[in-house]
Amino acid sequence: MGLEQYEDDVNICCRCSCCKFIPMQQIVGREYTYICPSISRYHYHSYSGGGRLNILAAGLKNGFNYTDRLLDIVYNCQLCGACGASCNYAMDMEVQQPLEEFRIKCVEEGQTNPALQKVIKGLRKTGSMVETQGKRGAWASGLKLKDATKEKVDVLYHVGCLTSYDKNMQKLAKATAKILKKAGVKFGIAGDAETCCGGRAYQMGYRNDFLKQAKKNMALIKKAGVKTVVTSCADGYHAFKVLYDQHDLKGNVEVLHISEYIDRLIKQGKLNLKKDLGLSVTYHDPCRLGRMGEPWIHWEGQKIPGGQHIFDPPKEYRRGTKGTYEPPREVIRSIPGVNLTEMTRIKEYAWCCGAGGGVIDSNPEFAQWTAKERIDEAMSTGAEAIVTACPWCEKTFNEAIRGSGSSMKVFDIVELVAKAI
Amino acid sequence: MALSKEVYREFEDVVGPEYICDDPTIMPSYHGVEHAAVIFPENTAQVQALVKLCNKHKLRIAAISTAWTGMFPPGLIYLDMRRMNRIIEINEKNMYAVVEPYVISGQLQAELFKRGLHMNMKGAGSNCTALLRGHGHLDQSTGGDDRNHLAVEWITPEGEIVRTGAMGSTDEWFCGDGPGPSMRAIISSAVPPGVTPGIFTKTAVKLYNWPGPSKWPIQGISPKYTLAELPSNMMARYYSFPSVEKMWEAEIKLGENEICLELMGFNPAMVAANITTCNEDDAKMFQKLNAESKGPGFFVIIAGNSSADFAYRKKVLEQIVRDADGESMKSLEDPEIEGILLCQCTRISASIRETFRPGGAFNSIPIMSQRDLTIRWAVGAGEAKLPLIEKGYIVDDGGAFFGWGVEQGHLGKTEIFCKFNPREEEAAAAVTKWQQEQSKRAFDESYFASLFGPISPEVSKKMSGFNVWWQKIVEAVDPNKVAPQGGPLV
Repeated sequence: MGLEQYEDDVNICCRCSCCKFIPMQQIVGREYTYICPSISRYHYHSYSGGGRLNILAAGLKNGFNYTDRLLDIVYNCQLCGACGASCNYAMDMEVQQPLEEFRIKCVEEGQTNPALQKVIKGLRKTGSMVETQGKRGAWASGLKLKDATKEKVDVLYHVGCLTSYDKNMQKLAKATAKILKKAGVKFGIAGDAETCCGGRAYQMGYRNDFLKQAKKNMALIKKAGVKTVVTSCADGYHAFKVLYDQHDLKGNVEVLHISEYIDRLIKQGKLNLKKDLGLSVTYHDPCRLGRMGEPWIHWEGQKIPGGQHIFDPPKEYRRGTKGTYEPPREVIRSIPGVNLTEMTRIKEYAWCCGAGGGVIDSNPEFAQWTAKERIDEAMSTGAEAIVTACPWCEKTFNEAIRGSGSSMKVFDIVELVAKAI
Repeated sequence: MALSKEVYREFEDVVGPEYICDDPTIMPSYHGVEHAAVIFPENTAQVQALVKLCNKHKLRIAAISTAWTGMFPPGLIYLDMRRMNRIIEINEKNMYAVVEPYVISGQLQAELFKRGLHMNMKGAGSNCTALLRGHGHLDQSTGGDDRNHLAVEWITPEGEIVRTGAMGSTDEWFCGDGPGPSMRAIISSAVPPGVTPGIFTKTAVKLYNWPGPSKWPIQGISPKYTLAELPSNMMARYYSFPSVEKMWEAEIKLGENEICLELMGFNPAMVAANITTCNEDDAKMFQKLNAESKGPGFFVIIAGNSSADFAYRKKVLEQIVRDADGESMKSLEDPEIEGILLCQCTRISASIRETFRPGGAFNSIPIMSQRDLTIRWAVGAGEAKLPLIEKGYIVDDGGAFFGWGVEQGHLGKTEIFCKFNPREEEAAAAVTKWQQEQSKRAFDESYFASLFGPISPEVSKKMSGFNVWWQKIVEAVDPNKVAPQGGPLV
């Protein structure tokens, strides 16, 4: 099927430019009204959701000519889903899916990006999307965590590549383990045997590599008798929860982001946050925990003949509104002394951190530019710190702050919770 | 038409290499037209320099904002004004705002609401530029089109910067006609072939009192936003009438009594599109509202500056509707639906649902003229749509038209369109035929002359040869023919 299945969708784009802005009813002023980093940075309409669809429509009709500019357009996009979320306020059409399918088509036809190709080469060799130094499970040394490859576990903590290998991010894994232990959760990790979820490979267009990773993970999950997978990475969450389901690989396993799990543990009285942190924060919704993290909708049907774009059975569009938004906010609000102030663009209309879609690897300057925009918005709230729930966001924000000299602090939600225990 | 390397470099020197592109790859996203180059100027000086280069090299040039619509010949220097996106000034005392071309109406309006102010909003949508040429839902209370243009900064087709009205002799934007030069007759035209040649880089738009909240209390999730509460001195209603004559009787009286914040001559299909969140529900809701409707109708918002003011407006409204045998559509009195309509029809955020969502395209015959006359024509144009509906070529809207009166309502906009799937060739051909036939009928039966497309000698003669005179003006201000005919409206 591939891209061709979305021919009607790409043709129905009316070029209204709503994919560039948050929905008109949500606009409350001149500032922070743009939603798409790509068009905001590169200006040409071709770098917007609608402009990309216009190009796909022309390509499906006349064939694709893979010029340098076309590949620049394809790979300078975080595939963050913002354009579709905004478009679908008014239009009944798929936006994200054709964009993803085209990137997959590019890869299948050998039109790859050298930086992403290098990352995927590493994935195939090491099972990691980041450079590996030492063993994957080394961060857990001395913590005496259960090994899911050797014993049955109800709860598997899937740590993720960046958190496992990046020395600056291993603190998140340790904080997560501390929280789960404190709450008395009997959980395990796969340690050195853990492998990439495949989510970021999918974003980069490497569907086959994603499928290989997904199958490896699901085999481990099945063997270990896992009932619940917990991730502290939004990419991992999106992969296990949405992409695996989309590709009929997920089975019945429950997938929770650590913020959802902490929220549950607090409400069950298993976790008490006591220490006053005395901090004013704002919260950044990671794309793949938020709008992209909403459940996959399995739909099969057909267009009803005639002039109207209607389907039998009616088609439900993923607008990003059913993503994970409240649990992280509930957790933040439950930390003593933490005052949460919201930014303008939140939840399904959150501005991306810049790291998605492989952009952090293929165009770090663009990733940092995007992150800087978000840091500016965070600063406008008067908060001392921006809290996120994904190591990729934290990494990108920190790099942007280092480059700009901003005094904004960055925390992952697990860091705050671990401090407050 | 490709630019030579030397000419390309001259343009590039003005804006920098990042802001010019002639790669055919990007052209499908620019209306599928092979432009000579797409360029992003940052300020007035750059626009002026680019226009002068076009004169030097005899290249045609056009500028766009969000560019929802537009017809462009190939080979243009196409200015995408995205980088000129500043609100220069909001002058609360003198009630005007100065904007650059890429400020969209939704942004400016949000800033104005905070200050208790409002503006004319284009019916096309708040995703369109806040610059010139607006008319739409609010025309009864704000007037439309050139009524709202104050001073303008205009780059003529020869590259001269002309600042009209008060800006011609002061540093203020408060007036379009003086004490500096008034160019209103030339710069205010929005209808082809009289679209003003040249490029507007800043304009002042007139502001009005906004009796509503500083921010709509939106709740819920996309695609259904509702209001947490209805403002105390605002009301939205849809009234239907037993005949077109009765509807017109009420519409003109409401205009003359100046009580409406908004009078939008929606039909049930457009209301259904506004309040439903998908095409499937849209079709069902249309049938429901159509059954409930007594006949042709319109949508009204009244807003009072005090409870007494609101009570007066409401009393007058109800009396006028009653006298014309009109009835409020009960389904739409539901507070949730009323809230949706109040917000969407002041923010103009659902026009995409009304036009593009159902089929992907629409073709329209719009006319700004004497409202009672054009309504009579539109009834026939609507009847002519019915066979297309029966054949499944176009989306069923009951053959309806829409429109609104401007200010007191004698002048007004009347428009009728067909929503269809443009990829169905038979449907597209049928719609084009309908459009041509009904435009011809409008002229033959002396309703109006549609001015889209080439002007025939017959039409020209009946309209005092206006197009000939206009052409003479264009030739005087554009001797090198750098400005294309027509152009983008939004």
